[in-house]
Amino acid sequence: MDRKDITDQDYELLELLRDYGDATGPRPAAGFYDRAIARAVQEGSKRQRNRWVMTGFGGAVAAAMALWIVSGVFFTTPTIDDPVIPSVTMALEQPQTLNLVFASAEALEGATMTVVLPEGIEIDGFVGQREITWMTSLNEGRNILPLTLIATSPVGGEVLATLRHEGDDKTFRLQVTVI
Amino acid sequence: MGNLDHNQRASFETLLKPHLDRLYRLSFRLAGNQHEAEDLFQDVLTKMFPRLDELIDIEAPGAWLCRVMYNHFIDNRRRYARQRLVAVTEDQLPGKSVEELPGDLDPVADAERLDNIMQLDSALAALSDEHRLVVLLHDSEGYKLQEIQDITGTPVGTLKSRLHRARARLREILVANGTKPTG
Repeated sequence: MDRKDITDQDYELLELLRDYGDATGPRPAAGFYDRAIARAVQEGSKRQRNRWVMTGFGGAVAAAMALWIVSGVFFTTPTIDDPVIPSVTMALEQPQTLNLVFASAEALEGATMTVVLPEGIEIDGFVGQREITWMTSLNEGRNILPLTLIATSPVGGEVLATLRHEGDDKTFRLQVTVI
Repeated sequence: MGNLDHNQRASFETLLKPHLDRLYRLSFRLAGNQHEAEDLFQDVLTKMFPRLDELIDIEAPGAWLCRVMYNHFIDNRRRYARQRLVAVTEDQLPGKSVEELPGDLDPVADAERLDNIMQLDSALAALSDEHRLVVLLHDSEGYKLQEIQDITGTPVGTLKSRLHRARARLREILVANGTKPTG
Protein backbone atom coordinates (compact mmCIF):
# COMPACT_ATOMS: atom_id res chain seq x y z
CA MET A 1 0.00 0.00 0.00
CA ASP A 2 1.28 3.46 -0.91
CA ARG A 3 2.12 5.83 1.90
CA LYS A 4 -0.17 8.47 0.30
CA ASP A 5 -3.18 6.17 0.59
CA ILE A 6 -3.14 6.04 4.36
CA THR A 7 -3.55 8.49 7.19
CA ASP A 8 -0.82 9.27 9.72
CA GLN A 9 -2.78 7.38 12.36
CA ASP A 10 -2.95 4.36 10.06
CA TYR A 11 0.76 4.66 9.35
CA GLU A 12 1.62 4.51 13.04
CA LEU A 13 -0.67 1.55 13.52
CA LEU A 14 0.82 -0.22 10.51
CA GLU A 15 4.33 0.29 11.90
CA LEU A 16 3.19 -1.31 15.13
CA LEU A 17 1.47 -4.19 13.32
CA ARG A 18 4.61 -4.85 11.26
CA ASP A 19 6.67 -4.78 14.42
CA TYR A 20 4.18 -7.18 16.01
CA GLY A 21 4.49 -9.51 13.00
CA ASP A 22 8.28 -9.56 13.28
CA ALA A 23 8.26 -9.89 17.04
CA THR A 24 5.68 -12.64 17.40
CA GLY A 25 6.54 -14.57 14.26
CA PRO A 26 6.62 -18.21 15.30
CA ARG A 27 9.83 -20.17 15.14
CA PRO A 28 9.42 -23.93 14.98
CA ALA A 29 11.60 -26.08 17.18
CA ALA A 30 14.73 -27.47 15.57
CA GLY A 31 13.90 -30.50 13.42
CA PHE A 32 10.15 -29.83 13.53
CA TYR A 33 9.77 -29.71 9.75
CA ASP A 34 11.67 -32.97 9.26
CA ARG A 35 9.57 -34.69 11.90
CA ALA A 36 6.35 -33.29 10.43
CA ILE A 37 7.25 -34.53 6.94
CA ALA A 38 8.23 -37.96 8.23
CA ARG A 39 4.94 -38.26 10.09
CA ALA A 40 2.94 -37.01 7.11
CA VAL A 41 4.58 -39.63 4.90
CA GLN A 42 3.96 -42.40 7.42
CA GLU A 43 0.33 -41.51 8.17
CA GLY A 44 -0.41 -40.37 4.64
CA SER A 45 0.80 -43.70 3.22
CA LYS A 46 -1.46 -45.50 5.66
CA ARG A 47 -4.44 -43.43 4.48
CA GLN A 48 -3.54 -44.14 0.87
CA ARG A 49 -3.61 -47.86 1.55
CA ASN A 50 -6.82 -47.64 3.56
CA ARG A 51 -8.61 -46.03 0.63
CA TRP A 52 -8.34 -49.30 -1.27
CA VAL A 53 -10.02 -51.31 1.45
CA MET A 54 -12.69 -48.81 2.41
CA THR A 55 -16.12 -50.26 1.88
CA GLY A 56 -17.40 -47.09 0.31
CA PHE A 57 -19.50 -44.14 1.04
CA GLY A 58 -22.81 -45.66 -0.06
CA GLY A 59 -24.80 -48.20 1.87
CA ALA A 60 -24.07 -48.23 5.53
CA VAL A 61 -22.16 -44.97 5.60
CA ALA A 62 -24.72 -42.97 3.67
CA ALA A 63 -27.51 -44.50 5.68
CA ALA A 64 -25.79 -43.52 8.86
CA MET A 65 -25.52 -39.91 7.84
CA ALA A 66 -27.99 -37.38 9.03
CA LEU A 67 -28.22 -33.65 9.12
CA TRP A 68 -29.31 -31.85 12.19
CA ILE A 69 -29.78 -28.18 11.75
CA VAL A 70 -29.49 -26.38 14.98
CA SER A 71 -30.62 -22.89 15.66
CA GLY A 72 -30.08 -21.64 19.17
CA VAL A 73 -30.55 -24.98 20.87
CA PHE A 74 -29.60 -28.45 19.74
CA PHE A 75 -32.46 -30.52 18.37
CA THR A 76 -32.66 -33.00 15.56
CA THR A 77 -34.52 -32.27 12.36
CA PRO A 78 -35.59 -34.61 9.57
CA THR A 79 -33.43 -35.22 6.50
CA ILE A 80 -34.50 -34.87 2.89
CA ASP A 81 -36.00 -38.36 3.04
CA ASP A 82 -38.64 -37.07 5.40
CA PRO A 83 -41.67 -35.25 4.02
CA VAL A 84 -41.06 -32.28 6.29
CA ILE A 85 -38.20 -29.98 5.30
CA PRO A 86 -36.50 -28.35 8.29
CA SER A 87 -37.05 -24.64 8.40
CA VAL A 88 -35.64 -21.64 10.15
CA THR A 89 -36.83 -18.05 10.48
CA MET A 90 -34.30 -15.27 10.19
CA ALA A 91 -34.42 -11.53 10.66
CA LEU A 92 -33.30 -9.33 7.78
CA GLU A 93 -29.58 -8.38 7.89
CA GLN A 94 -29.09 -10.26 11.17
CA PRO A 95 -26.38 -12.94 10.94
CA GLN A 96 -27.56 -16.26 12.31
CA THR A 97 -25.40 -19.31 12.82
CA LEU A 98 -26.83 -22.68 11.93
CA ASN A 99 -24.95 -25.77 12.94
CA LEU A 100 -25.18 -28.54 10.42
CA VAL A 101 -24.43 -31.78 12.18
CA PHE A 102 -23.32 -34.79 10.18
CA ALA A 103 -23.05 -38.20 11.77
CA SER A 104 -20.75 -40.53 9.90
CA ALA A 105 -20.10 -44.17 10.68
CA GLU A 106 -16.45 -43.79 9.73
CA ALA A 107 -13.83 -41.14 9.01
CA LEU A 108 -14.00 -39.86 5.43
CA GLU A 109 -11.26 -37.97 3.63
CA GLY A 110 -11.59 -35.92 0.47
CA ALA A 111 -15.32 -35.20 0.55
CA THR A 112 -16.69 -31.99 -0.93
CA MET A 113 -19.40 -29.82 0.50
CA THR A 114 -21.44 -27.57 -1.77
CA VAL A 115 -23.88 -25.05 -0.39
CA VAL A 116 -26.34 -23.47 -2.82
CA LEU A 117 -28.15 -20.40 -1.60
CA PRO A 118 -31.32 -18.71 -2.83
CA GLU A 119 -31.33 -15.07 -3.93
CA GLY A 120 -31.05 -12.84 -0.88
CA ILE A 121 -29.38 -15.33 1.47
CA GLU A 122 -25.61 -15.21 1.90
CA ILE A 123 -22.98 -16.97 3.92
CA ASP A 124 -21.17 -14.45 6.08
CA GLY A 125 -17.94 -13.47 4.36
CA PHE A 126 -19.02 -14.68 0.90
CA VAL A 127 -20.88 -11.65 -0.34
CA GLY A 128 -22.92 -12.22 -3.49
CA GLN A 129 -21.93 -15.88 -3.87
CA ARG A 130 -24.82 -18.24 -4.52
CA GLU A 131 -22.82 -21.46 -4.66
CA ILE A 132 -19.81 -22.30 -2.52
CA THR A 133 -17.84 -25.54 -2.65
CA TRP A 134 -14.96 -26.66 -0.49
CA MET A 135 -13.06 -29.80 0.40
CA THR A 136 -13.71 -31.36 3.74
CA SER A 137 -13.18 -34.50 5.73
CA LEU A 138 -15.40 -36.15 8.28
CA ASN A 139 -14.40 -37.71 11.53
CA GLU A 140 -16.12 -40.81 12.78
CA GLY A 141 -19.13 -39.70 14.79
CA ARG A 142 -20.58 -36.23 14.86
CA ASN A 143 -19.16 -33.47 12.70
CA ILE A 144 -20.46 -29.98 13.14
CA LEU A 145 -20.30 -27.38 10.39
CA PRO A 146 -21.29 -23.92 11.56
CA LEU A 147 -22.75 -21.79 8.74
CA THR A 148 -23.43 -18.16 9.45
CA LEU A 149 -26.19 -16.97 7.12
CA ILE A 150 -27.35 -13.43 6.48
CA ALA A 151 -30.63 -12.53 4.79
CA THR A 152 -30.12 -9.53 2.55
CA SER A 153 -33.66 -9.51 1.16
CA PRO A 154 -37.01 -10.55 2.66
CA VAL A 155 -37.67 -13.21 0.00
CA GLY A 156 -36.17 -16.27 1.67
CA GLY A 157 -36.01 -19.65 -0.04
CA GLU A 158 -34.31 -23.01 0.15
CA VAL A 159 -30.68 -23.65 1.10
CA LEU A 160 -29.20 -26.87 -0.28
CA ALA A 161 -26.14 -28.52 1.27
CA THR A 162 -24.67 -31.40 -0.73
CA LEU A 163 -21.95 -33.67 0.56
CA ARG A 164 -20.12 -35.70 -2.08
CA HIS A 165 -17.61 -38.47 -1.65
CA GLU A 166 -16.25 -40.82 -4.30
CA GLY A 167 -19.25 -40.66 -6.62
CA ASP A 168 -21.91 -40.70 -3.93
CA ASP A 169 -23.76 -37.72 -2.66
CA LYS A 170 -26.37 -36.68 -0.17
CA THR A 171 -28.35 -33.44 -0.27
CA PHE A 172 -29.99 -31.72 2.62
CA ARG A 173 -32.55 -28.94 2.33
CA LEU A 174 -33.37 -26.10 4.64
CA GLN A 175 -36.27 -23.70 4.18
CA VAL A 176 -35.42 -20.15 5.23
CA THR A 177 -38.13 -17.65 5.99
CA VAL A 178 -37.14 -14.01 6.45
CA ILE A 179 -39.13 -11.64 8.62
CA MET B 1 10.87 -48.07 3.45
CA GLY B 2 10.71 -49.22 -0.19
CA ASN B 3 12.16 -47.37 -3.15
CA LEU B 4 8.73 -46.10 -4.19
CA ASP B 5 8.02 -44.69 -0.73
CA HIS B 6 11.49 -43.22 -0.59
CA ASN B 7 11.02 -41.48 -3.94
CA GLN B 8 7.60 -40.24 -2.92
CA ARG B 9 8.99 -38.83 0.28
CA ALA B 10 11.83 -37.13 -1.59
CA SER B 11 9.39 -35.55 -4.08
CA PHE B 12 7.06 -34.51 -1.29
CA GLU B 13 9.88 -32.90 0.65
CA THR B 14 11.30 -31.12 -2.40
CA LEU B 15 7.90 -29.71 -3.33
CA LEU B 16 7.01 -28.58 0.16
CA LYS B 17 10.31 -27.27 1.45
CA PRO B 18 10.18 -23.79 -0.15
CA HIS B 19 6.73 -23.23 1.36
CA LEU B 20 7.14 -24.60 4.86
CA ASP B 21 8.01 -21.31 6.60
CA ARG B 22 5.08 -19.50 5.01
CA LEU B 23 2.72 -22.36 5.85
CA TYR B 24 3.94 -22.50 9.41
CA ARG B 25 3.40 -18.77 9.90
CA LEU B 26 -0.06 -19.02 8.37
CA SER B 27 -0.97 -21.89 10.68
CA PHE B 28 0.13 -19.77 13.63
CA ARG B 29 -1.93 -16.77 12.51
CA LEU B 30 -4.96 -18.98 11.98
CA ALA B 31 -4.74 -21.04 15.12
CA GLY B 32 -3.47 -18.31 17.45
CA ASN B 33 -1.01 -20.36 19.48
CA GLN B 34 1.94 -22.58 18.77
CA HIS B 35 0.47 -25.84 20.07
CA GLU B 36 -2.58 -25.71 17.79
CA ALA B 37 -0.56 -24.23 14.94
CA GLU B 38 1.68 -27.30 14.97
CA ASP B 39 -1.38 -29.59 14.97
CA LEU B 40 -2.86 -27.69 12.05
CA PHE B 41 0.44 -27.73 10.16
CA GLN B 42 0.81 -31.47 10.72
CA ASP B 43 -2.79 -32.20 9.72
CA VAL B 44 -2.36 -30.37 6.44
CA LEU B 45 0.92 -32.09 5.58
CA THR B 46 -0.61 -35.48 6.36
CA LYS B 47 -3.59 -34.65 4.18
CA MET B 48 -1.30 -33.57 1.36
CA PHE B 49 0.87 -36.66 1.08
CA PRO B 50 -1.81 -38.89 -0.53
CA ARG B 51 -2.39 -36.00 -2.98
CA LEU B 52 1.24 -35.84 -4.07
CA ASP B 53 0.36 -36.41 -7.76
CA GLU B 54 -2.06 -33.50 -7.64
CA LEU B 55 0.50 -31.34 -5.86
CA ILE B 56 3.10 -32.01 -8.56
CA ASP B 57 0.75 -30.65 -11.22
CA ILE B 58 -0.11 -27.45 -9.37
CA GLU B 59 1.41 -24.34 -10.97
CA ALA B 60 1.63 -22.24 -7.81
CA PRO B 61 1.82 -24.77 -4.98
CA GLY B 62 2.50 -22.12 -2.31
CA ALA B 63 -0.82 -20.37 -2.80
CA TRP B 64 -2.63 -23.67 -3.22
CA LEU B 65 -1.20 -25.06 0.01
CA CYS B 66 -2.22 -21.92 1.87
CA ARG B 67 -5.75 -22.32 0.55
CA VAL B 68 -5.85 -25.98 1.59
CA MET B 69 -4.65 -24.99 5.05
CA TYR B 70 -7.25 -22.25 5.37
CA ASN B 71 -10.06 -24.57 4.22
CA HIS B 72 -8.91 -27.29 6.58
CA PHE B 73 -8.85 -24.81 9.43
CA ILE B 74 -12.34 -23.52 8.63
CA ASP B 75 -13.76 -27.03 8.28
CA ASN B 76 -12.28 -28.00 11.61
CA ARG B 77 -12.65 -24.66 13.31
CA ARG B 78 -14.96 -26.02 15.93
CA ARG B 79 -12.48 -28.76 16.76
CA TYR B 80 -9.62 -26.28 17.03
CA ALA B 81 -11.84 -23.87 18.95
CA ARG B 82 -12.88 -26.65 21.28
CA GLN B 83 -9.26 -27.55 21.84
CA ARG B 84 -8.56 -23.91 22.56
CA LEU B 85 -11.37 -23.81 25.09
CA VAL B 86 -10.33 -26.89 26.97
CA ALA B 87 -6.62 -27.18 26.35
CA VAL B 88 -5.11 -23.74 26.40
CA THR B 89 -3.25 -22.78 29.47
CA GLU B 90 -1.88 -19.42 30.48
CA ASP B 91 1.55 -20.15 29.04
CA GLN B 92 0.09 -20.89 25.59
CA LEU B 93 -1.53 -17.48 25.19
CA PRO B 94 -0.01 -15.25 22.50
CA GLY B 95 1.29 -12.81 25.10
CA LYS B 96 3.76 -15.40 26.33
CA SER B 97 5.94 -15.13 23.25
CA VAL B 98 5.71 -11.38 23.43
CA GLU B 99 7.04 -11.31 26.97
CA GLU B 100 10.07 -13.27 25.90
CA LEU B 101 11.09 -10.91 23.12
CA PRO B 102 14.81 -10.32 22.99
CA GLY B 103 15.60 -6.64 23.27
CA ASP B 104 17.68 -5.01 20.57
CA LEU B 105 17.37 -1.40 21.67
CA ASP B 106 18.15 0.40 24.90
CA PRO B 107 16.21 -0.81 27.96
CA VAL B 108 13.73 2.10 27.98
CA ALA B 109 12.93 1.76 24.28
CA ASP B 110 12.72 -2.01 24.69
CA ALA B 111 10.25 -1.63 27.53
CA GLU B 112 8.11 0.81 25.52
CA ARG B 113 8.18 -1.43 22.47
CA LEU B 114 7.28 -4.47 24.54
CA ASP B 115 4.45 -2.59 26.19
CA ASN B 116 3.07 -1.41 22.82
CA ILE B 117 3.23 -4.91 21.37
CA MET B 118 1.53 -6.39 24.40
CA GLN B 119 -1.21 -3.78 24.19
CA LEU B 120 -1.64 -4.57 20.51
CA ASP B 121 -1.74 -8.27 21.33
CA SER B 122 -4.64 -7.67 23.72
CA ALA B 123 -6.39 -5.40 21.24
CA LEU B 124 -6.10 -8.05 18.51
CA ALA B 125 -7.68 -10.59 20.83
CA ALA B 126 -10.75 -8.35 21.06
CA LEU B 127 -11.37 -8.48 17.29
CA SER B 128 -13.57 -11.04 15.55
CA ASP B 129 -11.71 -13.95 13.94
CA GLU B 130 -12.33 -12.56 10.44
CA HIS B 131 -11.08 -9.08 11.31
CA ARG B 132 -8.04 -10.34 13.21
CA LEU B 133 -7.05 -12.66 10.38
CA VAL B 134 -7.20 -10.04 7.65
CA VAL B 135 -5.28 -7.47 9.66
CA LEU B 136 -2.60 -9.98 10.66
CA LEU B 137 -2.17 -11.42 7.18
CA HIS B 138 -2.18 -8.04 5.45
CA ASP B 139 -0.48 -5.72 7.90
CA SER B 140 1.74 -8.07 9.89
CA GLU B 141 2.57 -10.79 7.37
CA GLY B 142 2.59 -8.63 4.23
CA TYR B 143 0.05 -10.58 2.15
CA LYS B 144 -1.66 -8.61 -0.64
CA LEU B 145 -5.45 -8.44 -0.55
CA GLN B 146 -5.61 -10.46 -3.77
CA GLU B 147 -3.53 -13.20 -2.11
CA ILE B 148 -5.86 -13.21 0.89
CA GLN B 149 -8.82 -13.49 -1.46
CA ASP B 150 -7.15 -16.45 -3.16
CA ILE B 151 -6.63 -18.15 0.18
CA THR B 152 -9.92 -17.41 1.89
CA GLY B 153 -12.31 -17.01 -1.03
CA THR B 154 -13.48 -13.72 0.47
CA PRO B 155 -13.80 -10.98 -2.18
CA VAL B 156 -11.26 -8.15 -2.07
CA GLY B 157 -14.03 -5.61 -1.46
CA THR B 158 -15.13 -7.42 1.69
CA LEU B 159 -11.52 -7.79 2.82
CA LYS B 160 -10.91 -4.06 2.36
CA SER B 161 -13.94 -3.24 4.42
CA ARG B 162 -12.90 -5.70 7.16
CA LEU B 163 -9.39 -4.29 7.15
CA HIS B 164 -10.71 -0.77 7.51
CA ARG B 165 -13.01 -1.74 10.37
CA ALA B 166 -10.33 -3.83 12.08
CA ARG B 167 -7.81 -0.98 12.02
CA ALA B 168 -10.41 1.48 13.27
CA ARG B 169 -11.28 -0.85 16.15
CA LEU B 170 -7.61 -1.40 16.99
CA ARG B 171 -6.93 2.33 17.06
CA GLU B 172 -9.96 2.81 19.27
CA ILE B 173 -8.77 0.19 21.76
CA LEU B 174 -5.17 1.41 21.73
CA VAL B 175 -6.19 5.02 22.27
CA ALA B 176 -8.46 3.96 25.13
CA ASN B 177 -5.52 2.08 26.67
CA GLY B 178 -3.23 5.09 26.24
CA THR B 179 -0.92 3.26 23.86
CA LYS B 180 1.12 5.47 21.56
CA PRO B 181 2.25 3.43 18.57
CA THR B 182 5.86 3.91 17.65
CA GLY B 183 6.08 5.81 14.37
